[in-house]
Amino acid sequence: MPTPSFSSIKVGDAPQPLVCGPLTRTDFVRYAGASHDFNPNHHDEVYAQRNGNKTVFGMGMLAGGYCGRLLTDWFSDSALRRLRIRFASRFWPDDVLTVTARVTAKHDADGLVDCEFTCVNQAGEVIIRGDATAALPR
Amino acid sequence: MDLTAAGKTFPPFEFRVERGKIKEFADAIGDPNPIYRDPDHPGAILAPPTLLRTFLYEPRASAEALKVKDWSYIVHGEQEFEYLAPIHAGDVLTGNERIVSVTEKESRRAGKLHIGVIETVFTNQRGEKVQIARRTLVETSQRISD
Repeated sequence: MPTPSFSSIKVGDAPQPLVCGPLTRTDFVRYAGASHDFNPNHHDEVYAQRNGNKTVFGMGMLAGGYCGRLLTDWFSDSALRRLRIRFASRFWPDDVLTVTARVTAKHDADGLVDCEFTCVNQAGEVIIRGDATAALPR
Repeated sequence: MDLTAAGKTFPPFEFRVERGKIKEFADAIGDPNPIYRDPDHPGAILAPPTLLRTFLYEPRASAEALKVKDWSYIVHGEQEFEYLAPIHAGDVLTGNERIVSVTEKESRRAGKLHIGVIETVFTNQRGEKVQIARRTLVETSQRISD
């Protein structure tokens, strides 16, 4: 995807959605090792079930990482100035997550662009809602 | 949670952003971008935008100061980052943590909630403030399950 410039981007513009999955327990374990998130609900089936869950569930920040990926692919690698991730519900092995985003505002004075993004599962349930600000070249 | 913990600060912690950790993290979020791997790529080797959360599991002082009774009642409600300058492999960062607020809220669905916000300000080896992370932890009155 070519990097948009501040002058070319418009409110409502959206990047190609990012689709991740079907997710596996191995994806969760790989993220546990990479992120140091060793909450056993994310990798220990016995613990997770004893804790009332049907199985292990994914780390919110793994889905948050997918959201960051969509934004850096869209706006370029160093464009982000702010990122806010709000966790709405959990996701599970075999889920397919889709991240979408769209521009919500442009600020002429400083060349900043606001966007909102959403990560949903295959049933359309919202896993993450968020918003971000990026600085784009004029 | 301790509703009087707001304003508490903690001893700084220091860590190096390793090149191997950046690649491992990029692999874990399925991001093939060469800027996270190839030292010859322009701008490499850059830290991905959600990387620094991973350095916040080990320093326990701020989370412990919230005085949570049972961590299985805690959900990570929100995570925010402000990006002030790029972070590259080899940078040595210092994190300074502060409890921004601890509040109580009544939720129709989940009962009484305690909401704690912890802020971490990261400074690099040149003394430049590079990033601010804010995490919101929510303590529910029932165990988290479906």
